[in-house]
Amino acid sequence: MTIVGLAPFEDGFTPPGPGDFELPAVFAGVTKPMLQLVLAALLVVIFFWVVSRRGAMVPGKLQFAGEQAYTFVRNGIARDIIGSRDFMTFVPYLVALFFFILVNNLFGLVPLIQFPSFSRASFAYGLAALTWLLYNAVGIWRHGPLGYLKHQSVPGGVSGPILALIVPLELISNILVRPFTLALRLFANMFAGHLLLILFTLGGEYLLLHSDVAFYKPIGVIALLLAIAISFLELLVQFLQAYVFTLLTAMYVSGALAEEH
Amino acid sequence: MSQPGPPPETSPSRSLDPWVAFGRLVAGVGLYGAGGWFLDRVLGTSFLLPLGIVGGAALGLYLVYASLRER
Repeated sequence: MTIVGLAPFEDGFTPPGPGDFELPAVFAGVTKPMLQLVLAALLVVIFFWVVSRRGAMVPGKLQFAGEQAYTFVRNGIARDIIGSRDFMTFVPYLVALFFFILVNNLFGLVPLIQFPSFSRASFAYGLAALTWLLYNAVGIWRHGPLGYLKHQSVPGGVSGPILALIVPLELISNILVRPFTLALRLFANMFAGHLLLILFTLGGEYLLLHSDVAFYKPIGVIALLLAIAISFLELLVQFLQAYVFTLLTAMYVSGALAEEH
Repeated sequence: MSQPGPPPETSPSRSLDPWVAFGRLVAGVGLYGAGGWFLDRVLGTSFLLPLGIVGGAALGLYLVYASLRER
């Protein structure tokens, strides 16, 4: 639909879409997001190795930063959610998970990389599968297979004949739907944020440089400025999604460990 | 008082994943919708699918309400 009087984009501005996330293989079927995952894992391992190598009683700046990062997840997520009795077992996984996701998300804004790895849904599903295995294994280990099944399917606060209708519903909700919502939230946030950024930068660039209508040029400038603003918003979202994923993992573990509802 | 004691025992927080509500609604609609669809096919009726969808959503909502009331 074009408005009369305004020139349409006759020479073709192609709006970005899901196709922009299909990156070609770098070599032998290995794509850029795959390499990013490896790079992120290396960065996290190296960072924590470097900051904990000395282990000085009076920490230097680097060690202090590392300890702050570790403590944030250890106390802020693991201990608060899982409780002081059991939380230490899960701290390594939660710390690794949080910083792995955070680094991968930040890749969306790092110059020359500029692609959030988890905007590819399959990676998010892989992470959610890890968390799914963890909380189910923990629950089975704590309650036994049948006890865990009961634990996840009989909700508190419901009694009477309606329980027969509720039990399969709760089981599906806790075992089948959970990993999908967990993965979808991370994937969709990264995907949408990156798409928004490409749209504003490509659109702004097109309006500013390739449009014949003088009136479009300032609009292009505004779009580019908005792209910068959105980058800051994305920074927040990238941190938040790493936090939420880790927080929910801790909640699921805590729920699987809980004695009763 | 310079030596801080061990941190106090903290119990797991009772906070709830807000998306559990979404999961229960989806599970309710999916499960009882599928059940209604299947019964419709077997019995040759056409009212059980919508009934299952609405009933499933109602059960999901009820479950969210009941589990929150418990806390």
